[in-house]
Amino acid sequence: MTDTISTLHDELAALDRAYSPGHHGLWSARKRTALVDAALIELFETDAPAGTAIAALGGYGRGRQLPFSDIDLLILHHGSDPEGLARLTDRMLYPLWDAGFEVGQAVRTPSECLTAAGERLDALTAMLDARYLAGDAGLFEAAMAPVVRQASDDIAVFAARLAGAAEERTERYGSTAHGLEPDLKEGSGGLRDIASFGWLERSTGALLESSGVLRPSERELIDEAEEFLIRARSAVQLAVGKRRDRLTSDLQPGVASDMGFTDEPRLPAPDGLMRAVFERARDVEHIRDEVFTRVALRAITDAPPGAGVPAADPLDAEGVLAALDVNDQGQLADPQLLDRIEAADIPDPVVWTSGVRERFLTLLRAGRQGAAALDTLDRVGSLERFLPAWSDVRCRPQRDPYHRFTVDSHLTYALAGMAQMLRGEDLDGEDPFEADLVGLIDDQDALLLGALFHDIGKNGGGNHVPAGAEISMDLLQRMGVPTPTRDLAAFMAAEHLLLPDTATRRDLSDENLILGVAARIATPSRLAALYLLAKADALATGPAAWTPWRRTLVRELAVRVLRVFERGQMGTELAERLADRLARVRELLASEPDVAVERFMVRMPRGYFLSVEPAQAARHFSVIAPDIGVHEVRTVSRPGTREDTYELLVVAADHPGLLSEIAGSLALAGLSVLSAQVFTTDDHVAADLFEVQASFGTTVEEDRWRSFRKALRRAVEGRTSLAHQVAEKRAHYPAPSRPTPVTVRVDNDASDFYTVVEVGAPDRIGLLFDITQTLADLDLDVHVAKVATYPGRVIDAFYVRHVDGTKVTDPGEVARIEAAFHVAPSAP
Amino acid sequence: MKLVTAIVKPHRIDDVKESLRDIGVNGMTTTDVEGFGRQRGHTEVYRGAEYQVDFVPKVKIEILVADGDLPGVVDAIVKAARTGKIGDGKLWVTEAEQVIRIRTGEMGPDAV
Repeated sequence: MTDTISTLHDELAALDRAYSPGHHGLWSARKRTALVDAALIELFETDAPAGTAIAALGGYGRGRQLPFSDIDLLILHHGSDPEGLARLTDRMLYPLWDAGFEVGQAVRTPSECLTAAGERLDALTAMLDARYLAGDAGLFEAAMAPVVRQASDDIAVFAARLAGAAEERTERYGSTAHGLEPDLKEGSGGLRDIASFGWLERSTGALLESSGVLRPSERELIDEAEEFLIRARSAVQLAVGKRRDRLTSDLQPGVASDMGFTDEPRLPAPDGLMRAVFERARDVEHIRDEVFTRVALRAITDAPPGAGVPAADPLDAEGVLAALDVNDQGQLADPQLLDRIEAADIPDPVVWTSGVRERFLTLLRAGRQGAAALDTLDRVGSLERFLPAWSDVRCRPQRDPYHRFTVDSHLTYALAGMAQMLRGEDLDGEDPFEADLVGLIDDQDALLLGALFHDIGKNGGGNHVPAGAEISMDLLQRMGVPTPTRDLAAFMAAEHLLLPDTATRRDLSDENLILGVAARIATPSRLAALYLLAKADALATGPAAWTPWRRTLVRELAVRVLRVFERGQMGTELAERLADRLARVRELLASEPDVAVERFMVRMPRGYFLSVEPAQAARHFSVIAPDIGVHEVRTVSRPGTREDTYELLVVAADHPGLLSEIAGSLALAGLSVLSAQVFTTDDHVAADLFEVQASFGTTVEEDRWRSFRKALRRAVEGRTSLAHQVAEKRAHYPAPSRPTPVTVRVDNDASDFYTVVEVGAPDRIGLLFDITQTLADLDLDVHVAKVATYPGRVIDAFYVRHVDGTKVTDPGEVARIEAAFHVAPSAP
Repeated sequence: MKLVTAIVKPHRIDDVKESLRDIGVNGMTTTDVEGFGRQRGHTEVYRGAEYQVDFVPKVKIEILVADGDLPGVVDAIVKAARTGKIGDGKLWVTEAEQVIRIRTGEMGPDAV
């Protein structure tokens, strides 16, 4: 190692140590550049052959040499002294390599420079940054002037190539403005984008401000962003001890601490760092896009647009929203318009007049353009004046494997997606379902607001869903939107996870679950709102979030809930009644342990609470709630609501044939069933409720109940043949004098979960036993039974399915059921 | 070493995870998959329009286990995934010839 290089080595190390790792900004980079310059010049001038020169390229050329940046060196020559050139390169490069420096060297003649610039955009831009170091200055000028001309010949084309390269980088490296592990150099909004402003300036030979392409306030933002990103990138390199540009999660706590970020309430230091990175990169992204657009819209060398136009009065809140209501990206990039928006007189917080509200909603309705307008409003710092809670989600990173964007970007993307769907775009084309759902929506503004606010509760506090519901409500009240709109939008924020979470985590073949979801949603239009939000939310999360897998599950849930509404099994009134009744039951059970009560409320079917009075349910609690053994049977009877009738509750572990065992035991004990309701809990306990009366006589004495319980226990334990005993008992009575026909109807449309078998038959002893025994023989589980007795005739409806949970859809099997009943109920 | 692969219903995955954790298994790979077995797909009719669901959403679980742990792992998955209804899925076991923990280079049962 030569003295020169070892001195450089020491000086660079001393510079790295001179400041804490988070404070190596532009000044440090320039200082580093100067140290490298001095060493290279000394190496070169020791024995420089005539007709050669050296220059600094790329970031080094711009004076941005970071702790582990490559040294991008251009050695220029005429091509006339190959041996002298070889000696020069050996003398310059070997010591650098030996000392461990990464060198990016180019050895070119002027014509080779031009060729390289023509072939590759990165070679061209590296040479636009070229800075003369030593040697033949004329050679340097002669080599670089044509290169610069190549860019300046057609600025619009050059700008378009830069824009194209920026797009490719975004594709390859992701965004520095919201990626959780951003590339500080190559990512969209990163340092490479900042460098491209310099390339445009080199090619025109003038500052971008002078041609009106860059606004002075934008220059300030770029400078601030560059200083910050250089510090962050330097800190990354110093942390890992080598060239690296990606701020990975493992480095974030260290870099945050190096750069002076500390934990704040609801914002840990690493999140504070990331928020700062995102804010800067977002500025760069916006300004880059606008500068490229402005250059494309007019030749860069034209006079500043609108020069000499008198300054207009400052815009007010409504005026700003009106100015943003443009569908042309070009107009949004208009520097003068941006100046006026920035200078607008917007009170903090905004007073939501009807004019402001209407203008704001108009922006939301514009979909992607509206989202872009909100971004613009946010950039100039005004969005928080309209929506104070926005500051909490602004540039906030989301640390989970699914979200690709910051909370605020996620919200504006969801808004844009929702607006597209409401306009009939981006809908699943093969499936009419989504279009039907859009047709159910008559308050589109509510859906736009719901999409915009659904994650507003992700503010670093606890559970974001209840927080979001509360914050949404506050914002919506502030905005003064109509009450139904407000309520629907706040409902969406409160329940936005209901469909996706239920669909992916719960058993959709559970009718009770579907009824519970339907009760929470209550109307088809609210269901449509939640479905469309689930889709917009997923699409705004990341490209892979709305997979066919997820869509199939959410769609299945939505269809089932919708059919529950259509069949009238749930609706606004029923949902209210159910909520009232559940509340009432809780009240009545206030003295019982909370856990047991909650468990009872969850495991009993919704249909139970809808058909059983709260007082009755509260009475049932002590019978149903305790765990039950396999062969255990609990029965409770009390006088019924009508004279000489009794209410009988039977609780037992559910098993095939249980209902027929109960029915048979009742028949043997001389008890007639007037009506029956059969319920099954989610953990397979049957709670069967009967209205019975004595088959003969009026009152039912205790010995009759006792004989019923005895018969039932024997049946459940499998110690008796009920069929035989019932037949024997029936033999003592004459058959009905006037036979009425037996009717059977098998209905698969009444429920998504069960096949409904409806049997009409003349009443007689043991009829319910015969019917339920037939169902058991057919291997069908009875989940709900509705038994109604009319004088002389019984109409029973049974909700059945196979043991494996499937409905009876096979035509052959349906025919077998019908045939079985035509024989069974009329059998002697 | 064995590779245990199971296809289960999406809503059972949390229970499966839980019961595996209970027996000390902390690593598994899950993938959202779609397919059909005996359950087939189904045709949904909504407002008269037919919508064919050819593939039913499921979750695939893959776990590498040492031979001695196999019975416990299989038992835990099967018990936790069973609902008794159609479409509960399948589980199969294959021989894993070699396992390497990439970070450390550990091989064989040490890497499981």
